[in-house]
Amino acid sequence: MGENIKKKHMRIIEKTEDYKEAIRIAAEPLEKDDYITDDYIQAMIDAIDEHGPYIVLADKFALPHARPSEAVKETGLSLMVVKEPVDLKGNDINLFVVLAAKDSTSHTELLKSLANFLMDKKNIEDVISCESTDEIKKILDERW
Amino acid sequence: MKILAVCGFGVGSSMILKMTIQKALRELDVEGEVVNADISDVSSQKADAIFTSPEFVGDLKKRTNARLYPVKKYSDIGEVKGQVEQLIKDMEKE
Repeated sequence: MGENIKKKHMRIIEKTEDYKEAIRIAAEPLEKDDYITDDYIQAMIDAIDEHGPYIVLADKFALPHARPSEAVKETGLSLMVVKEPVDLKGNDINLFVVLAAKDSTSHTELLKSLANFLMDKKNIEDVISCESTDEIKKILDERW
Repeated sequence: MKILAVCGFGVGSSMILKMTIQKALRELDVEGEVVNADISDVSSQKADAIFTSPEFVGDLKKRTNARLYPVKKYSDIGEVKGQVEQLIKDMEKE
């Protein structure tokens, strides 16, 4: 198994103001590590205003992302669990995985394994109930 | 049959949807090709059916004659399987 999500790119928080703030906080580790710029974060938020909540891929789960662009320096994923559900246009979300794709192919393998992981709803529940990023990392390493 | 999985950018959600459709086809033992695309790319692709989120259905109706099947949760295998079964029924009617 290749690397899925780096532990330093994971976060567990109690609550956020709204989904916009949630996306900002979830994407911050990627911004800090120079995977993305602030423009990409804004583009992810704008995409929801434009296209609606289609980034909600499963109950409690959202995959914020935007079009590959110069605002992405490196392909990667970050993850955030928020204990109190965040409303994303009528959907309660507890788990955000931010996708930064610098082109339309480099992330294909990552997403394939993410898709398989998501199809089992128990995986999502288990990640949401984690109390530490060590626990999340362990689940991902075992089942991703 | 050929199915297009469509989302706004053709890189994230549609890729997940494609995987879920492929799994549904396998479980239903149906042969089919699944391609993911972004919404602006749809008119250049030939397909028997398009799977996409409810938000895009209205816009896509104007651009394509392919059958449209809305899917709310792209990684919900139960929902996607239901739509694949509906598609098979619809194709048999013809």
